[in-house]
Amino acid sequence: MSARAVRAVIADDEPLLRAQLRMRLARAWPELQVVHEMENGRDAGQVLTAHAPELFFLDIHMPGATGLEAAREIGSRAHVVFVTAFDQYAIEAFERGAIDYILKPFNEERLAITVARLKERLGERPPRIEELVESLAARLQTQPAEHLRWVKASVGSNVRLIPVEEVLFFQSDEKYTRVVTCDSEALIRKPIRELLDELDPAKFWQVHRATIVNVDHIATVRRGMKDQAEIELRDHAEKLVVSRAFTHLFKQM
Amino acid sequence: MRYAHLFEGLTVRRVLAVTALCAVAPLLLVGYFLNTYNDLLLSALCVGYTSMVFFTVAGNVRQSRVPREAMQLGAIVVGSLLGTILAGFVKGRGLAEMLGERLYGVMITMALGIGFGCVVVAMFILREKHARDQARFHRAESERHRLEKNLLEAKLQLMQAQVEPHFLFNTLANVQHLVESDPPEASRMLESLIQYLRAALPQMRESSTSLKREVDMARAFLEIQRIRMGARLDFAIDVPESLQCRSFPPMMLISLVENAVKHGVDPCCETGTIAIRAAEAGGVLRVWVEDSGEGIKPKKGGGVGLSNIRDRLKALYGTSARLVIEEREPRGVVASIEVPAGIPA
Repeated sequence: MSARAVRAVIADDEPLLRAQLRMRLARAWPELQVVHEMENGRDAGQVLTAHAPELFFLDIHMPGATGLEAAREIGSRAHVVFVTAFDQYAIEAFERGAIDYILKPFNEERLAITVARLKERLGERPPRIEELVESLAARLQTQPAEHLRWVKASVGSNVRLIPVEEVLFFQSDEKYTRVVTCDSEALIRKPIRELLDELDPAKFWQVHRATIVNVDHIATVRRGMKDQAEIELRDHAEKLVVSRAFTHLFKQM
Repeated sequence: MRYAHLFEGLTVRRVLAVTALCAVAPLLLVGYFLNTYNDLLLSALCVGYTSMVFFTVAGNVRQSRVPREAMQLGAIVVGSLLGTILAGFVKGRGLAEMLGERLYGVMITMALGIGFGCVVVAMFILREKHARDQARFHRAESERHRLEKNLLEAKLQLMQAQVEPHFLFNTLANVQHLVESDPPEASRMLESLIQYLRAALPQMRESSTSLKREVDMARAFLEIQRIRMGARLDFAIDVPESLQCRSFPPMMLISLVENAVKHGVDPCCETGTIAIRAAEAGGVLRVWVEDSGEGIKPKKGGGVGLSNIRDRLKALYGTSARLVIEEREPRGVVASIEVPAGIPA
């Protein structure tokens, strides 16, 4: 085993934890040289060119860009060790895959094993970790940001944030769109057409040229006049008209 | 078929009921008339079926000008008239005969048709109303069940571990470092952690708590976060002494504070402040958390804790409590909980 210096980068959003890892590594691996520290996963590519590290210690959860995003950028250009406090999924994935990880709080023996393994691997080409990173990213992704979750509406001089699940219905009213919840009503400028593109289509149905209803809040649908129907809502007295073009949504299965 | 809906409700059952009525009615009347039972039965069936068809159609016409019941009564009158004339035709009489020498008999048949018809319609409408009331009652019941279920779920979620393993292990990792580098700070952090755990562990939790207890828990959490995030987090707590003893539902304030750190200050990479404040006005106790973070992006999630708070507020106070999330000027979010002041949680 040669005693040449190994260049490493530590990424963690918590300063004390960076210091802690640096200190522990200094004891467990004196030849290791921490050449740079990062607060988040951004700029991993730049750090690679600027400092030419062989090794990255990446915290998985960091604001800005996560450790996974950094790992994606690093690819096979350096070895990656993930640092995590508690990620059941991640730990399972690491144990199956050929990727190193360290648990916080740090355990001296465990760190020594990781260091020994890393020393062996440093001579080899960094393994391909893309697949693992992708599957991890998919599992750790909490909310896919595809649908509208909040509606910003002016109430008096304030801008209120209304979670869409609270909204009973949206209804266009000349220039504005009414946003009606069970205990309040607000106006927004976004037209029905645009809302329709952004809302979750499984929960929000257009029932009229001017109306989008949250199906979770429908109490009953009654047949009305001229091939139309009428929606009664839970917790709200106002009734909504379903125009002929949309009555098929409520046809019996 | 375009007009099929007009005949909805014209079931075999309805036809049988009308037939039965038309069979029984002449039995009751045959003693008062010179006509034979069969003659009366024929009239009754003609009037009965005609009225039945008109009545069904009247109930199904989609219009809103005339009340449905009035339409149906009108249908009985028209049905009786046309049914009587129909009966006359079936018996081989001409229209002139019916309106001339037999007018008296025609009038009687019609009147009987209308009379019986009205009784039947009244019964029918009453039964329908009863069914509607029944349905409304069931709806109210199921709504109540839904609320109870929501409350139960909310309680269950509350009972399940609120202490995020992530938070716990990261905090302990910090303590691990501070023990070596800054022992007094380590001990402060441990103290905050203990205070936080005392309030956050489900086994330690009481069903109702004071605002002070909730604020203390939030403070302990923020102390820990301040050490962890270094210079990035600053916080202020401004809750008047007079409000501290007020009862306040558990684990709501801490959720707002956690959101303020996780979704407000933490994602934006510079420094941020969080403030907890409380005020009472007009019988309403308002407790709010302000952050100077990045604000809420329209498509960002994180509403689970909030909908839990909403469900619990609704279950505890009905419509007299609420959770309001607003944008803060110039940046950040204000999340406030309003509950009736002085009502025990």
